[in-house]
Amino acid sequence: MNDTARPDTKILADPFPDARRQGRLLAAECRACGHLFLPFGPVCPRCWSIDIGQRQMSGAGEVATFTIYRQSYHPDFPAPYVLALIALAEGPRLISNVIGCAPEQVHIGMAVSVRFVPRGDQVLPLFVPVTSPARNPEIQGDTP
Amino acid sequence: MPRKAVITGIGHTAFGRLEGRSVRDLEIEAIRLAVADAGFERADIDGLITDPGPAQPVIDGIEPHYLALGRQLGIDPDFVGTEVLGGASSVSSVQRAVMAIEAGLCSVCLCVYGDTALSASGSFSYGRGAEAAFGFFGATGLHALAAQRHMARYGTRPEHLAEVAMAARAHAMQTPHAQLKRPLDLDGYLASRMLAEPLRRADCCLISDGAAAVVVCAADRLADLATPGINVLAMGQAHSLSTIANADHFDQTPAARCGPATLARVGVTAADVDVALLYDCFTIVVLMQLEAYGFCRLGESGPFVTGGRIAPGGELALNPTGGLMAEGYGGGMLHVIEAVRQLRGTAGARQVAGARLALVSGHGLGMNTHASLVLGG
Ligand SMILES: [Zn+2]
Repeated sequence: MNDTARPDTKILADPFPDARRQGRLLAAECRACGHLFLPFGPVCPRCWSIDIGQRQMSGAGEVATFTIYRQSYHPDFPAPYVLALIALAEGPRLISNVIGCAPEQVHIGMAVSVRFVPRGDQVLPLFVPVTSPARNPEIQGDTP
Repeated sequence: MPRKAVITGIGHTAFGRLEGRSVRDLEIEAIRLAVADAGFERADIDGLITDPGPAQPVIDGIEPHYLALGRQLGIDPDFVGTEVLGGASSVSSVQRAVMAIEAGLCSVCLCVYGDTALSASGSFSYGRGAEAAFGFFGATGLHALAAQRHMARYGTRPEHLAEVAMAARAHAMQTPHAQLKRPLDLDGYLASRMLAEPLRRADCCLISDGAAAVVVCAADRLADLATPGINVLAMGQAHSLSTIANADHFDQTPAARCGPATLARVGVTAADVDVALLYDCFTIVVLMQLEAYGFCRLGESGPFVTGGRIAPGGELALNPTGGLMAEGYGGGMLHVIEAVRQLRGTAGARQVAGARLALVSGHGLGMNTHASLVLGG
């Protein structure tokens, strides 16, 4: 990126910013077949039903894969930071960040839980290791 | 009786930083070379399929890419198209030309890739849609997610990725027009700047200015009927359009479906391939394709490439020009062109003795698209 405009964050992993501000992580739920999925969309990708609701996730999951960015591509994202694909306990997966530990400690299969972090005008669902001290003020910050 | 399509002309510009050259200028140079190589003239061309490079607009305003180029060429073809499969577009452009000719829609079709990505302003570390909100930038980070899983599942090591990068650099030393002629050893690889773990700068392909073109024609239209064209023995595509959060997105590319199916169409396996031109945007993509096409078993590509097996003189002739990593980023058209040279027996110092069967692959759009060609002399 050559400009410093914030990335387009209009369509996040779920379209319910109020839920995120309240600390709730939602996934789309197909009312026809029960499939849970992210990102939200108007159609169930498993059965093509358009009867789509939402379900609150526990916020527990594990790291399916990750990378440590050692190169910064945007001023809002100073390296190093961990970008990860998180597999939620209920099944859906989402791209997010793992925070609250040294990047080198992150590994595939690591148990994590959601932590809502304000970033700009958004509240984003990020993930912390479940073994990390709860409510560590450092992991409430605005950096990944 | 259905017509048979063959590849009959190849041409490309220099690759590298070509300051002051417009993309149109480059495309037209490559086209003139390919048309002359085929023994045709401008008036013979009745098909045009374009592969706009990553820095080029597929549609500029209301004008699709083939229209912008065709206007400059001053041609009124019977068949046109612009491919939108990312890195699989060069291979799919040739496929579309073959299909159009064999269906009777045209008889002499140009396939053209061109870009000025290196000298144009801008970069490829674009945000990946909504997920840029989490710092998801560029193709390197995406492929790093696949590499990390490959390493965790199969014990693949940086030294294995290094083999791919080192082999590409060594091959390019035998390629007069290569953009990056600088050998790489393991220390050099390991010292290469880490971008998104486990991928280093040396794991990434080049960014280039340049253009490359191929002429496909009906066999009965060959300008010199005494010189048969290159046969297109099999073609295939497979795509993964579901979200990257799909369970196995980072464990396999669509090559896992496309590769074996395409080879089976002509009754061959990877063991029959004399020269492989595999799309090599990142080292990990080469490893994953070696497994997908069956050159080795799933998870064994790291040990497979160890010991110089894909380096010059190695057991498997893979990307003899240095490919996207060292020859230059030619979309994938340079891969098609090298396959044609190898099958013609005109690859000079890189010639694989007795090459009769070539495999060409294309991979694109965040591991979403894949296309294959099996070519025979
Ligand atoms: Zn459903």
